[in-house]
Amino acid sequence: MIRINCSGCSLLCDDIFVNTNGSIIDQVIGACKKGKQRLDQLNAKNRITSPMIRKNKELKKVSWEEALNKVKEIIKNSSKPILYGFSTSSCEAQLKGIELAKKINGFIDSNSIICQGKVLNVAKDSGITLTTLAEIINKADLLILWGANIADSIPRLLNKALFSRGKFRLTGREIKTIIMIDPIKTASFEVMQMRDTALYIQLGKDIDLIRFLKENISIDREIIENKIAGLDKEDIKRLIINLMNAEYGVIFVGQGLLKSNPEYNILKELIELVRAINSKNEKGRLSLVFLGGHYNMVGFEHVALSFYGKNHSLQFSDNLLVNTNDTIVNKVANDDFDCSVIVGTDPISNFPSFLSSKLASKPLILIDNKKSATMEVADVFLPSSLTGLECEGLAYRFDHVPIQLKKILNPPSDVLSDEEILNNIIKEINKK
Amino acid sequence: MEMTVNIVRMIERDQIEEFSFGDELSLKEKLAIGFLNPKDFDKLGLVKSLHIKLSNKYGDVIISQVRDEKVPEGIVLMPVSIWSNQITGVENGNIIYKDLKVEVEPTRDPILQFKDLIAKIKKKK
Amino acid sequence: MEIYPFLPKTNCKKCGHPTCMAFALALLQGKAKVDDCTPLIDEKKYKENLEKLKELMGGADGKEKELHIDVDKDLCDGCGICVTACPVNARYCLPTLSGKAPDYPPEKHQLFQVTDGKCELLDLKSCRRLEAEGRERECTVCENYCPRKAIKINYV
Repeated sequence: MIRINCSGCSLLCDDIFVNTNGSIIDQVIGACKKGKQRLDQLNAKNRITSPMIRKNKELKKVSWEEALNKVKEIIKNSSKPILYGFSTSSCEAQLKGIELAKKINGFIDSNSIICQGKVLNVAKDSGITLTTLAEIINKADLLILWGANIADSIPRLLNKALFSRGKFRLTGREIKTIIMIDPIKTASFEVMQMRDTALYIQLGKDIDLIRFLKENISIDREIIENKIAGLDKEDIKRLIINLMNAEYGVIFVGQGLLKSNPEYNILKELIELVRAINSKNEKGRLSLVFLGGHYNMVGFEHVALSFYGKNHSLQFSDNLLVNTNDTIVNKVANDDFDCSVIVGTDPISNFPSFLSSKLASKPLILIDNKKSATMEVADVFLPSSLTGLECEGLAYRFDHVPIQLKKILNPPSDVLSDEEILNNIIKEINKK
Repeated sequence: MEMTVNIVRMIERDQIEEFSFGDELSLKEKLAIGFLNPKDFDKLGLVKSLHIKLSNKYGDVIISQVRDEKVPEGIVLMPVSIWSNQITGVENGNIIYKDLKVEVEPTRDPILQFKDLIAKIKKKK
Repeated sequence: MEIYPFLPKTNCKKCGHPTCMAFALALLQGKAKVDDCTPLIDEKKYKENLEKLKELMGGADGKEKELHIDVDKDLCDGCGICVTACPVNARYCLPTLSGKAPDYPPEKHQLFQVTDGKCELLDLKSCRRLEAEGRERECTVCENYCPRKAIKINYV
């Protein structure tokens, strides 16, 4: 039995034990359903372990040499390549991806632009109070889930944040308060007990609640409105009292909040609200946590920021980073590209269909490990290994803490890691 | 009837799981689906075997439906999938996954198979 | 009080309790067994009372009702809240205090473990409902806190 770091989601649990003889894993202790799914992908029915090229509308198995030649041909015939994905690759592979983009005058972006988005960007402008998991376990006494259904996306987070008995919260669940703000009663609501509050906010009214709270955070003032954003006066009063008296409060921000009211800058207003509360609350402080799905979405932002000074949407020209306000969404929507390299993600399934059509109409190179909708339209498929199991690398947790992932098995023969594949593409392009 | 669509994560309906371990039939059965409040279910005159067609300015899609008391009135919940992305779009450079306005009507037309949906995506430019 | 009518009501103290009423209370709390009342077993005139009492207290064959904690594997999502929240686990497995999975191999008194993505009950003997005293015997932490309602406590 060896101890490993799980790479199933952005929680990157480090308390998982697996039983392995070096070639297969037959038992895992401690991992949730998503972690087990990640381990099952090692021998999945639809795993692909050989490079493929589309010939006569069908994908056919070929050698690495032929596949890399085809990749070189596609890239040499394009002047505006785009690279996308990278949230399921290690930081070393992400750095190689940016190096490749720089070499081919490309535009590179990661999944975070359509998920957590420009969190670090806004932080640059106005500052942001983040927190780490250890602090939440040891100190938090107020948890607010805003538009986040943790039980369905990161199952063990509720376990670690709410039920743990940290150093300063030894009584555990009984001393912690949880407030959930969501229009729908999701599975996460089942953990609520007597002192907790469920706020069934009206869909699309989160901006009203944020603005109301900003104006009324002093609990002395009487609330005159009867309903705000679909919530009763009494519930809002309770929320304000909890926010202003928490010793260590944490707001978990999910897609339900970040993606509502797209016409406003929700992120900026939320950070201003947190800052206003912190300046009035003398006893304690409130922090923010942004949740994401894939295990290394945060890593790309740190790699890009550290090495190139910008955390997303990097456009290169003549080996230099140029200024641009483009993101992957408007690059594809405006047909401002002529080929794409997709790494470890499935945009044909996850993008709106008109963007998928545009992606599918140009040559597409896919680096992934299994069947997907993007594979059905790809021109070249390069099989990659699973980081954290078949190859090692660095990854960043959802709270921006770096975690080293280990290698415990060998990948199938003919399957390389993301970093090696991107390196081989660079070497191939360098050849005369 | 006009309703609002919210696209959410559901742990038992995960497209990565179906792509890794299932096949095109299980993908369609588990993911081309919408959850409705019983009152809306009755207002639309639905029965278990009927499908519903959702259409808006971004596109249209036919999916199967299930009654669920936990869904508030006026909302259709869908899991993240290639079917639900037929009715999502882009506004102000952001992709919209929540609070999408759609027209909902019952229909006997079949749900598009995965392969047909890919063909439809390849054809549109 | 359905139990008291079937007892001898002599307050003979042979069971170790001061009155038959006290013995009835102890039976309810699980602190005494029907066999402790020796007059009920030895004297023929109480045979019918004994049978009725055993039926009330135990199953149809006269045995005591056994504790069963069942986990529905289809509903469970492996979140591990039962592992962290269980007071027995918290006492014997130090990692659960910070929400971590307990070490492997499991501790002697560890009750819950998440194996292959699903919750598994290891050893029922250490459960508070069997071992503890007083109000702790009414412990329903695992059943209450499971977000998928996959754990059920039954007496069979």
